[in-house]
Amino acid sequence: MKRLLGVALGILTAIGGFVDIGDLVTNAVVGSRFGLSLAWVVLVGVVGICLFANMSGRVAAVSGRATFEVIRERMGARAGLANLTASFLINLMTVTAEIGGIALALQLASGVSYMLWVPFALIAVWLVIWRVKFSIMENVTGLVGLSLVVFAVALFLLKPDWGSLASQALHPSVPSEEGPGTYWYYAIALFGAAMTPYEVFFFSSGAVEERWKVKDLVQSRINVLLGFPLGGFLSLAIAACAAVVLLPAGISVTTLSQVALPVIQAGGQLALAVLILGVVAATFGAALETTLSSGYTLAQFFGWSWGKFRRPAEAARFHVAMIVVLLAGVAVLATGVDPILVTEYSVVFSAIALPLTYLPILIVANDPQYMGKHVNGRAVNIVAFVYLVIILVASVAAIPLMIATGAGA
Amino acid sequence: MRKAKPLPAQDIKPAPRQAGLVLDAQLHLLDRQILDVDGVPVTTVDDVELSGPAPGEPIPEGTEAPHITALLTGAVLGTRIFGGRPPSSRFIRIPWEVVAGVDTVVSLGVRANSLDASWLERWMRDQIIAKIPGGRHDPE
Repeated sequence: MKRLLGVALGILTAIGGFVDIGDLVTNAVVGSRFGLSLAWVVLVGVVGICLFANMSGRVAAVSGRATFEVIRERMGARAGLANLTASFLINLMTVTAEIGGIALALQLASGVSYMLWVPFALIAVWLVIWRVKFSIMENVTGLVGLSLVVFAVALFLLKPDWGSLASQALHPSVPSEEGPGTYWYYAIALFGAAMTPYEVFFFSSGAVEERWKVKDLVQSRINVLLGFPLGGFLSLAIAACAAVVLLPAGISVTTLSQVALPVIQAGGQLALAVLILGVVAATFGAALETTLSSGYTLAQFFGWSWGKFRRPAEAARFHVAMIVVLLAGVAVLATGVDPILVTEYSVVFSAIALPLTYLPILIVANDPQYMGKHVNGRAVNIVAFVYLVIILVASVAAIPLMIATGAGA
Repeated sequence: MRKAKPLPAQDIKPAPRQAGLVLDAQLHLLDRQILDVDGVPVTTVDDVELSGPAPGEPIPEGTEAPHITALLTGAVLGTRIFGGRPPSSRFIRIPWEVVAGVDTVVSLGVRANSLDASWLERWMRDQIIAKIPGGRHDPE
């Protein structure tokens, strides 16, 4: 019974933890401009993150080594540092976006400008990182984040034409008012939102934090294989809500309140309250994960002591690094840059940086010195190789498309 | 870590005394994580210090084969990336005597706090982290 509860809890937190500000914004933007014609990308992204998270979780559980230790060992100091710099900057961008997301959600709830909420968000995130146990942090934000199911409920209440939604999803085509360049640019953004590298740093370091052993791998596989796809459905519900309400009205999403519009139309104030709760939990959880991920990547690269299972005094440089990252993120927000814009860029840059983390993990997952008999099976390697190609193509195509389309404008 | 495979008798050359474990310094030592006796990360390996004549010096007949005397670490990432060599005073030595094992990590037989290599960690702990309330408590 206790074991069953553990599995259920794991799945639920995986669903609630899947969606962050990147998924929220990108799915709503895409839904409001392209309908469900990019739904297939969410599917590709979810399968990818399942594969990738499983692999890095297995590497961490079997060898006890988290992603960035492996990256430095395999790539050496020079390429490793280049990788660290890129990953760290994108992580910082995501931290900024998530803190901005918390503040925007609180603005939606209170009417007080998000700028005034940023310091509160900063302090709250830091306090949790400083004092709260890893498992509690994960479970609470994951479970409360489940309130985002309100998007799925709203979709039903809106009584959409299911047939037309399904045909948009199953027969994808570029809408007449958008060019193929923007279509593919947003395809990459959506792919980056689903497969953000920080989730992998976080997942593998979390496996070390929670001291996974080989026998825990079954449960982690269930969490990932059920939780992430259900989280992907949540992403699709966000896109579908936007496709039903915003696309016909000609509103393309540029603010968080526009993301909420379909939910308000379907369920009124009550639905809005649930939505805000969900957005705060999801962005708060993701702010914790990204901040920790910045600490993890730095500490693992430089060989510092790290982990929330230690007292802050026993992982001093790790905690100092995270304080600096949070302050840097807030400094970026203090310039008045639009958090939604930061989010949109962060998901594309995530897609660009994906090969940097994906490839070393794939190599080590095949290295018997680390993995013993738990190296990748043949089937996994075939799928992993197909994804390597997809990830490389997305990464290479992203910048030219960004320039050609004016970042999807 | 793989043990050296036994070779056919005619191929065996006079073995160096320290034989037993075949390590590729590049592959098995460089950039490896170093953990202390309690499993606490200390640093990573940036270089090794070898015994014997310095590079370029003539090697007299009968000189012992060089062996690792210390693992080196420190703020030397700059020269590792852009080339060149810092003066040896820039390195922090971790004497080979305290190394307890080499696997996917290098494990030490002593506590991190007893090593020079952990000075920055201790400095940040004592000067910053321990001064913030809750810094010495377990997470709850």
